[in-house]
Amino acid sequence: MELEKPDTVEQPQADVPWVTIVWNDPVNTMSYVTYVFQSYFGYSRGKAEKLMKDVHEKGRAVVSNGSREEMERDTEAMHEFGLWATFRKDD
Amino acid sequence: MAHRKAPFKSTRAGVQVNLDDQEREILVHLLGQLDQLLDDGRPAAEVDPLEALVGMRSPSADGAPPATPEDPALARLLPDGNRDDPEASAEYRRLTEYGLRSRKREGARTAAAALTRPAPVVLTAPEALSLLKAFTDVRLVLGERLELKTDEDAEALHQRLWAGAEPESWLATASIYEVLTAWQEHLVTAVSKQR
Repeated sequence: MELEKPDTVEQPQADVPWVTIVWNDPVNTMSYVTYVFQSYFGYSRGKAEKLMKDVHEKGRAVVSNGSREEMERDTEAMHEFGLWATFRKDD
Repeated sequence: MAHRKAPFKSTRAGVQVNLDDQEREILVHLLGQLDQLLDDGRPAAEVDPLEALVGMRSPSADGAPPATPEDPALARLLPDGNRDDPEASAEYRRLTEYGLRSRKREGARTAAAALTRPAPVVLTAPEALSLLKAFTDVRLVLGERLELKTDEDAEALHQRLWAGAEPESWLATASIYEVLTAWQEHLVTAVSKQR
């Protein structure tokens, strides 16, 4: 019987986080995008505006992270609001 | 010129619509077109009841994954969920597309029904939210038809509209697009004040 502890303790694999990305588009207005981030994610006005500016100026922003299922749900919600969103594994 | 009231105004009773009959008719017409565009052509009887219930698409008879819609406007309303992994994207579409189509269509109908009530129309919170989302979808469709691909295209729209050198149909679509953009800005403000 093996009584000795193994040298390395196996760490439970941390859930690989996934992200939801919102991409810039020429149609959605800054005020609407800010409104969506505030109302759906419950973000403060400041945070929502910062993310909106990132989308507008950098072309995209990570708006949420979590499990794959959660990110699919967020992506679906963004699509329902007409925002251009995708989900992917964070690297 | 008389001062115009804001087209949408937040009141204690809800979002008041200050559009005249003709303006509301235009909106209702566009909402009807949105509803039609999102119709996947399958009669209700052919839709699997389970699919209708959970919003998930059952695999097609040939087992092919559901594809991105060919019409660019429809593809913009129902975009791919994943850019790197076609399999994840197809799975996302299978899980969500039916539900998204249904909810977008239902929202367009809710908004159209509210706008058809006798004036003065005051929208409830769910009606205002439905209209806000449907406004977005209509503008996304028109934006595709106008081939707005970049922020610069969107910024140049106003100039091109006033220059008047474009074909008549382009000018008509562009002027509706501009009016809707202005109306939607008022609606975002009004809805934000309701919370």
